[in-house]
Amino acid sequence: MPDKSSDVVQGTLDMLVLKTLALEPMHGYGISVRIEQMSKGVFRLNAGSLFLAIQRLQRDGLIDGEWKATENNRRARYYVLTKKGRQRLNSEAREWGRQAAAIARILEAS
Amino acid sequence: MPFLRNITSGLRSLFRKEQVDRELDEELRAYQEMAAEEKMKQGMSPKDALRAVRLERGSLEITKEVVRSGGWESFVETCWQDLRYAQRRLRMAPTFTIATVLTLGLGIGATTSIFTLVHAVLLKSLPVANPGELYRLGKESRCCYQGGYSQEKEFSLVSYDLYKYLRDTTKGFSELAAFPSLEMVFGLRRAGTSEAAQGYPGEFVSGNYFSMFGIRTYAGRALTDADDHSNAPPVVVMSYRLWQQKYGSDPSVIGSVFDIDGKPFTVVGITPPGFFGDSLRSSPPDLFLSLNTEPYVESDADLNKVDTHWLELIGRIQPGANPASIEAEMRVELKQWLRSHWSDMSANDRARFPEQTLYLTPGGAGITTMREQYEHWLLILMMVSGFVLLIVCANVANLMLVRGMERRRQTSLSIALGAQTSRILRQPLTESILLSLFGGAAGVAIAFACTRLILRFAFPTFAGFASVPISASPSMPVMLFALVVSLLTGVAFGVGPAWMATRVDPIEALHGSSRSTAREGSLPRKTLVVVQAALSLVLLSAAALLTAALQRLENNDLGFAQDRRIVASMDPRLAGYRSDQLPTLYRRIHDSIASIPGVSSVALCQYSPVGYGWGAGVWVDGHPAPGPTDDNSAAWDRVSAGYLDVIGTPVVRGRGITEEDAPSSRKVAVINEAFAREFFQNEDPIGKHFGTEADNSRKYEVVGIAKDARYLIVDKPDGAFFFLAEAQADYSQTNLGSLFLHDIVIRTRPGASLSDAQVRQAMASVDPSLPIISIRTLKDKVATQLTQQQLIARLTSLFGVLSLVLASIGLYGITAYNVGRRAGEIGVRMALGASRGQVVRLVLRGAFLLIAIGLTLGIPLSLATSRALSSQLYGLNPYNPVILLLAVIVLAVFGLVATLVPALRASSISPARALRTE
Repeated sequence: MPDKSSDVVQGTLDMLVLKTLALEPMHGYGISVRIEQMSKGVFRLNAGSLFLAIQRLQRDGLIDGEWKATENNRRARYYVLTKKGRQRLNSEAREWGRQAAAIARILEAS
Repeated sequence: MPFLRNITSGLRSLFRKEQVDRELDEELRAYQEMAAEEKMKQGMSPKDALRAVRLERGSLEITKEVVRSGGWESFVETCWQDLRYAQRRLRMAPTFTIATVLTLGLGIGATTSIFTLVHAVLLKSLPVANPGELYRLGKESRCCYQGGYSQEKEFSLVSYDLYKYLRDTTKGFSELAAFPSLEMVFGLRRAGTSEAAQGYPGEFVSGNYFSMFGIRTYAGRALTDADDHSNAPPVVVMSYRLWQQKYGSDPSVIGSVFDIDGKPFTVVGITPPGFFGDSLRSSPPDLFLSLNTEPYVESDADLNKVDTHWLELIGRIQPGANPASIEAEMRVELKQWLRSHWSDMSANDRARFPEQTLYLTPGGAGITTMREQYEHWLLILMMVSGFVLLIVCANVANLMLVRGMERRRQTSLSIALGAQTSRILRQPLTESILLSLFGGAAGVAIAFACTRLILRFAFPTFAGFASVPISASPSMPVMLFALVVSLLTGVAFGVGPAWMATRVDPIEALHGSSRSTAREGSLPRKTLVVVQAALSLVLLSAAALLTAALQRLENNDLGFAQDRRIVASMDPRLAGYRSDQLPTLYRRIHDSIASIPGVSSVALCQYSPVGYGWGAGVWVDGHPAPGPTDDNSAAWDRVSAGYLDVIGTPVVRGRGITEEDAPSSRKVAVINEAFAREFFQNEDPIGKHFGTEADNSRKYEVVGIAKDARYLIVDKPDGAFFFLAEAQADYSQTNLGSLFLHDIVIRTRPGASLSDAQVRQAMASVDPSLPIISIRTLKDKVATQLTQQQLIARLTSLFGVLSLVLASIGLYGITAYNVGRRAGEIGVRMALGASRGQVVRLVLRGAFLLIAIGLTLGIPLSLATSRALSSQLYGLNPYNPVILLLAVIVLAVFGLVATLVPALRASSISPARALRTE
């Protein structure tokens, strides 16, 4: 684990959660672990921000939640991407890609 | 539907709070335990693992709080909490709550009751179908007859012929209806009964009147086009009110025959209960007759006079039609109609032909004579009640500020513990809005009572007539108005104190010291007192001015006696009398009433004071004829013998009209002093002759001069005025309007009482079909001329006193509070040797400075208000220094009393006790 972790870039948490869930249905802890792993420890999620994002996405109809048993036989709430959530993820990812490329070009220009 | 989902999910957390909380709790616990398990796999003890998770990912409780406050429902929830908290706090201070709610109730009630009137008179539409589709002819209402083929400014009244032309050629209207602009009274009697006919307001209307308004009758049928023909059987539609009140909703009325002005009519229908005709007026019509029955009822009919314009028009436009293009179309039609009458037009009419035009205006409110008449004073009252509301706001804001001060320690504690500013701000604001809503509820109740009173004063009713169709019970718009006003006042008086509350320095407040010499934080409160004093001065001086103007009017010598005089009004024309029958009728009426016990003398006249009069041009015998710019007009009245004695106008020279003025003797006239001054300057008028036509200046001989009086209007003496003898009138002229006398003036003996029934009976013994329009004392008749003025003066005085009391309470409050806060300081001063007098002076000085500033600001404001009022003062100088000074003194005295009480209390503090309270 790198000794420096940072907050998720403003406004991108929702997209990251959607991306995580696009791979497979997941519970809250799973989502945060997955994001940490995939970012190689750069992003560490605070429980407050994570569950707030989950509540928001759920209310927007982008994800659905369901109580299930984990592999360790513990009850946890699993979240799945809805059709609308998948569409949103696609459009946001595309937009992000465009912007990131643009920013990179500006920074590389000398 | 993310929106819907958001709402349902929010509602779920609101109403199934426990379950939602439990689920969140379970989810978060699972999350925490999974994280801890991970740590334990790496070799930590369960306890250390949990601690590490909390450090890394935040504590369970804070996470829960964050998630909970993320949704909109948390806002609702805190609002609810605030509301419950505010309600609890208010319950804990019942005196404060009741006082505030009452004060607010008075302010909101005053404003709401005036708004009820404003809404009914100025804003409301007629109770008919789709009033937005109605358009009427004319920009301003104009009464009652226009002759010839030109009208000044706009063609707003039309003849029946012009109406038919406009109705048949204009395409944009689905219906265009007509009715006279004159308010008429008809004598009504059920046919075959012996009861005396009684006068009721009524109206001739075109056959499509009811279908144009979209009004369906309550019972029976409405008038139709088929009823509006010269040979259709005469039918009438009766108002629901008359049917219910006079005939007890008797279903047999429909189909029965009634005599209207002596002519039989069949009642075919009853109007719906809320319908009051085409205009808001103090006595709405009870009878609706078709226009074509006018020649049948009236001996001097206007229906077929092509150039007598007496009809108002209201039409319903076709759906989607453009009123502007209809107006343009009608202008062309007007010109065409005028051109088709070119040969009948006078040279003057022809010269004015190019500028003849007409206007179509929204007619949803009907004919708005009353609106134009009352607009001005309603706006004055609205302004006055607005001032009262401002004073109320200032007063309550002051109380709230004091409350805020008392809460300082608690507020600082909350801030120190990390409460959000928005939450601290919302708390007192919630409290104020809650208070103002309670105040609004009280206000609506007060407004209801108040409006009923105002209606009684503002629109006097005649016995048997309908009253003005304005309801005192609050309607939807009025309730809405009260709600908005309450919310606005709540914010107005709450936002200042709320903002002050957040500006507390926690450290300072927690020190717990309430010691104070300087009155820090009291600037807003002082400002409020200053504002109150200034506004009170404005209201007081306005009230004093209006009252003074009213008193001047009431105490004017009107030039006739008002006590022991009764006026019965009739209209022989309505009972179908011809002019040659009139002399006998007048003689019999005179004798019949004179024989009632208690009557000392009786006389008949065309018009008794105060109100109407006829005008005529005067040509004096032996004087050069008046030039085209000379004003030779005079008002006149036709009266029976002894009239001046009966009415009590003294004759200063010569004699009045007497029995000796017979048809065969020389024609005489009695003139007033103004007539003598104007037409005879230095000559002695007695024995001189004048006439009312250029070629007959020897028609009347002046036999007497009567004292100047106010027969026409109460606020200034009449100009030239003369009286002619009824007995000498030329009754061979058929249907000359001035031959029909309207008023019977009855003088009673001192101490005698005369009932209406006695008068009616005496009249019925002469002719049961002769309608009595009203029986009133002369005093009442004069008083109705002053109704508006009285009402404004009384209401403004009431509001003025209210504001004075409120301002005094405000001043008392702030002085008492300051004295309380300075108890320690005063104690020290007294311990060091200050006398009681010095302490009283110290307190008074502070308070009086505020009043002085308030008065200084109030004086220019009052002067500006007086200027705005000047049209209501009947010539009283609006810049009246005595009245202003009086208002200043009254305010100062009340201020003194309000501050003296706490000042004296302060001076009686024992120094030892004051110092101990620290």
